[in-house]
Amino acid sequence: MDFLALTLAGILSAGAPLVLATLGETLTERAGVINLSLDGTILLAAMTAFALAFVSGNPWLGLVGSIAVGMATAAIVVLIGPVLGRSQLAVGFILTLLCRDLAYFLGHPYARQFGPELPVWSIPGIRDLPFIGPILGYQSPVVYLSLGLTVFLWWWLFSTRAGLELRAVGEEPWAAFARGIKVQRLRIMYTLLGGALVGLAGGAFSLAVKPGWGRPQGAEGAGWIALAIVIFGGWHPLRAALGAYLFATLQVLGIYLQEQFPGLPAPLFQVAPFPVMILTLLLVNVGSTGWFQELAFRYPGMKRWLSRWQVTAPAALGQDFRPERET
Amino acid sequence: MSYAARFSLSLGRLAAAVFLSLVFTTLLLLVSGAPPLHTFAILFAGGIGSVAKLGQTIAVWIPLVLCSSALLLTFAPGLWNIGIEGQIILGAIFATGFLRPFPAGASPLVLAGALIAGMIGGAFWAYIAGVLRTWGRVHEIFGGLGLNFVALGLTLWLIFGPWRRPGVASMSGTEPLHPSLWLKGIKGFSLSPVSLVLALLAIFLVIYLLRSTRWGLSLKAVGQNPEAALLYGLKPNKRIVEAMALCGALAGLAGALQVVGVYHRLLPAISSNYGYTALLVTMLASFRPNLIPPICFFFAVLNVGSIQLPLQLKLDSSLSGVIQGVLVLSIFLVHGLEERWQLLRRQK
Amino acid sequence: MRVEFQDIHKDYGRVRANVGINLVLEPGRIYGLLGENGAGKSTLMRMLAGHTQPSRGRVLFNGKNAEGLNPSRALAMGVGMLYQDPMDFPALDVWENFRLGGTKRDKKRTLSRLQELGERFHFRLSPQEKVSELTVGERQQLELLRLLDLGVKVLILDEPTTGISVTQKEMLFTTMRQLARDKGRTIIFVSHKLTEVEELCQEVIVLRQGRLVAKLQSPFQSDELLKLMFGDEHGGTAECPERSQPGEGEFIQLEDVQLLGDKYILPDISLQIRPGEILGLAGLEGSGQELLLRGLAGLARAAKGRIIFDGEEFQGRPYLKFRQAGIHFLPAARLEHGLFPDLSLNEHFHLAFPPRNGGRDNLLPEEGIRKFSIQGQLTTSARALSGGNQQRLLLALIPAQTKLLLLEHPTRGLDHGAGQQVWNHLLGRCRQNTALLFSSADLDEIKAHSHRVLIFYNRQLVADLPNHAISVEEMGRLMAGQGRAV
Repeated sequence: MDFLALTLAGILSAGAPLVLATLGETLTERAGVINLSLDGTILLAAMTAFALAFVSGNPWLGLVGSIAVGMATAAIVVLIGPVLGRSQLAVGFILTLLCRDLAYFLGHPYARQFGPELPVWSIPGIRDLPFIGPILGYQSPVVYLSLGLTVFLWWWLFSTRAGLELRAVGEEPWAAFARGIKVQRLRIMYTLLGGALVGLAGGAFSLAVKPGWGRPQGAEGAGWIALAIVIFGGWHPLRAALGAYLFATLQVLGIYLQEQFPGLPAPLFQVAPFPVMILTLLLVNVGSTGWFQELAFRYPGMKRWLSRWQVTAPAALGQDFRPERET
Repeated sequence: MSYAARFSLSLGRLAAAVFLSLVFTTLLLLVSGAPPLHTFAILFAGGIGSVAKLGQTIAVWIPLVLCSSALLLTFAPGLWNIGIEGQIILGAIFATGFLRPFPAGASPLVLAGALIAGMIGGAFWAYIAGVLRTWGRVHEIFGGLGLNFVALGLTLWLIFGPWRRPGVASMSGTEPLHPSLWLKGIKGFSLSPVSLVLALLAIFLVIYLLRSTRWGLSLKAVGQNPEAALLYGLKPNKRIVEAMALCGALAGLAGALQVVGVYHRLLPAISSNYGYTALLVTMLASFRPNLIPPICFFFAVLNVGSIQLPLQLKLDSSLSGVIQGVLVLSIFLVHGLEERWQLLRRQK
Repeated sequence: MRVEFQDIHKDYGRVRANVGINLVLEPGRIYGLLGENGAGKSTLMRMLAGHTQPSRGRVLFNGKNAEGLNPSRALAMGVGMLYQDPMDFPALDVWENFRLGGTKRDKKRTLSRLQELGERFHFRLSPQEKVSELTVGERQQLELLRLLDLGVKVLILDEPTTGISVTQKEMLFTTMRQLARDKGRTIIFVSHKLTEVEELCQEVIVLRQGRLVAKLQSPFQSDELLKLMFGDEHGGTAECPERSQPGEGEFIQLEDVQLLGDKYILPDISLQIRPGEILGLAGLEGSGQELLLRGLAGLARAAKGRIIFDGEEFQGRPYLKFRQAGIHFLPAARLEHGLFPDLSLNEHFHLAFPPRNGGRDNLLPEEGIRKFSIQGQLTTSARALSGGNQQRLLLALIPAQTKLLLLEHPTRGLDHGAGQQVWNHLLGRCRQNTALLFSSADLDEIKAHSHRVLIFYNRQLVADLPNHAISVEEMGRLMAGQGRAV
């Protein structure tokens, strides 16, 4: 029982940065913009958060710094991409590499240092509950934030007028424009907001989940996983969070397995999430291929099972909206 | 617009981008407390300061050119072959695997076989990403990236597992190849004329395929409009997989050359991020083949020069990557601003 | 509200969409805005709705200059537009569509308001349904309710009758009359169909080649309106070029074919087509005609039945086999689905006509450009061509040995002259025994050019009749699911 509770607590903790990054990117992509730079942004934000906390002695300041970094890269993506009309994917990819190298370069002096970490909060009332207590009673503030934001964004996206407008902008920007919705402004806003959450994920890594800075930090590849989870999650906050916890489970499981089978080479556990990533994307996408639909026509049961997983992207995802250029 | 006008315009853009990145890098160096001029001097001296260093730079130039020109093939049908990194690694693994049965050396024919094995390895890895994309609708960015990590894991597993050095397994890689299986360099250089010729051949092959064959035209058509390409009977899915496989073959060749020509063994970092760097090169060149060799050279200088940074200035060598990234980002920014400016002017 | 256009010009690059338009619209009246495709009707209305800005000139609302008009300001001023292609959100629910950009209320009030308005105008819409499940007519009704809820004073309807059934059209017209009479709304009805304008409007404004050529009061004279729309050279309705008699024998046979589409299944189609025969496919968008064309092209799979070309069975074969057998399909969206925007004309010809297998019969690029009078050079990109030139390029790219042509909306968006040219070419092909199947939203076009008419309703083939056995009115009824069973 205790073991299970502790494992679950570990999953919640390991999943927190992934959840934050996934929620951020979900927001951005719901508005129709792809911010591909996640992997680099998370590293740069993690480095900034740790360096700031190290210099000032205040981890909260570090967290603020990570948010700023996330917003800054998002600003570059949105400026060169949707605003100036260059390829969003290209800018995102360049930033992925650039931010990573920048993090290693600027973080050089802070590598392998001991620095401050975010405190663990213990929640009165919850911490004393049986079973729930060990899971939810003592966690880092980023864990509570990730849980709260998941529910909040779910409610906000599907039950508020502003959430409706966000979805509208990512689905049919021209129709939204015709209804007087400020498309470009919303897209910029949500890209920045999404970037802030991605940055926060970086801070969550270096100040709580994988404390410290180094080359490698340990968060490498997390951004790509988060991008894949956004797709797997069908651009839905709850399902995305579920996906993030799935990968966190994999990670925690990996640690146990490594202890159980010391004979297995360590690299196997490090790369295991990536084939899983490909498989999850296959699972949610294969249903829309022609050959599969033919197969499904012959075996309807298969279709029913798979259609539960199938996802549809926001219709205008990655497409620029520039009314001044219409012809 | 005439060719000369277009050329000078793109030169102007390049100048503006270089200026922007110079400003950014200088600021960055000032922030991190390094003397900017001195740092730049070390970078360039490290890259072209001596004949030996120039040789090293050309040794980096070769895989970069191979990969960048290979990427032209996948960019033509609009594919983001981020998986090129893993394709290099697979080329290295296949080449090493091919040479393992000859610990006591063999004829140069075996060496040629290793290069072909490398190409098959790279093509195989790219083929998987291509099939995932066409038959599974998994975007090649995710398919390729996932496969990169798998390839890295595979290398580590081989080096620490079945192919480990007798005695200690370590990050320094597998047992070195027998010297008769080394691609011989020019005296005093770690640079082989064979590699150089292969790189040049590769870029001419790509130019020929894209400019003068119906296959190349079909690739562009697929990139422009896959649905129309289907209607015209151009078999877009098949073209995509072919482009991926050929790109992977060239990347695999680069990987094989790293094994037989440079390191003479399989290393965990055998790809040296050349695949990612090549993606930057191709974007900076705006997918124009004639710009690829000079840009590759410049990037190679930065890569080789940056090795000196930790030694002389206690700076991280990732500065070269920062400069490269900023440069490509700047060209996108300049391009975008220029277009915006023209649009405003036209509306007036 | 009184709307005034003062010397409006709109240029798109070198194309002059509107030239010096002066016009005053009074409240409480129904105006018809008439003109052939490309006359500049939609452009003028999009400027009024703030969707695009004039290159020169002013729009005045009640005498006040509306500068820098955008959709949100236009809506605030009381101008609402129902666009030709529904400007809505297929992925969202009906009530969410109603809420977007509308008055701020909570979900409960939104739902009750939607129901109230729907009842008042006898529109039946279920609020929780996805808009993608609605017919074009229902989507229009939803848009209309939304605009009425916003209290628009000027209501623009851009070609609202394309793609809706006769009943839906009658409902729409009743609503329009009611709004103008009882509420003093200004209604602008944009159309290229004379009969509808005559039926509904009190005043008509005619545009030709971007210029305002007339503003007339009801009653109208059809001859005069036609002359104004097309100029002197085109007197009457489309004069139909000679249509040849189809050849003998059964060239194509479909036996109980069931076709699988992305969205639906088209069951039990049986058909015989003779060489040189022309079949017009009528039906509301999404009624099955798209799937039949794609199925015959080999782009949609036949799950059951047999498809026989020239005595050979083709069901289950890949698209390329169909193509090699001489079957050619042209989609409706030319640039989106049929051409490569940035490739040159020369490259298009090279892609369409591979050097081997019978390339000699086909046109050389220079020949094709000349013969089809395409306004462009070998190096011109497809993107830079006008709609008519793009359509002619597609026609030029049809291989010489084509035996069956499948066309979606062959003249959509083309002006009268360009449409005529397209038909001249197509009929020429049919004279050489090429069979032709085409779909169109324009029933007059179907009536004018086909030997036989196929009518689709509710994803089924409901009628297969010779041209002389059916009138345009009857087609309309069958398309709407009324009339005789076949």
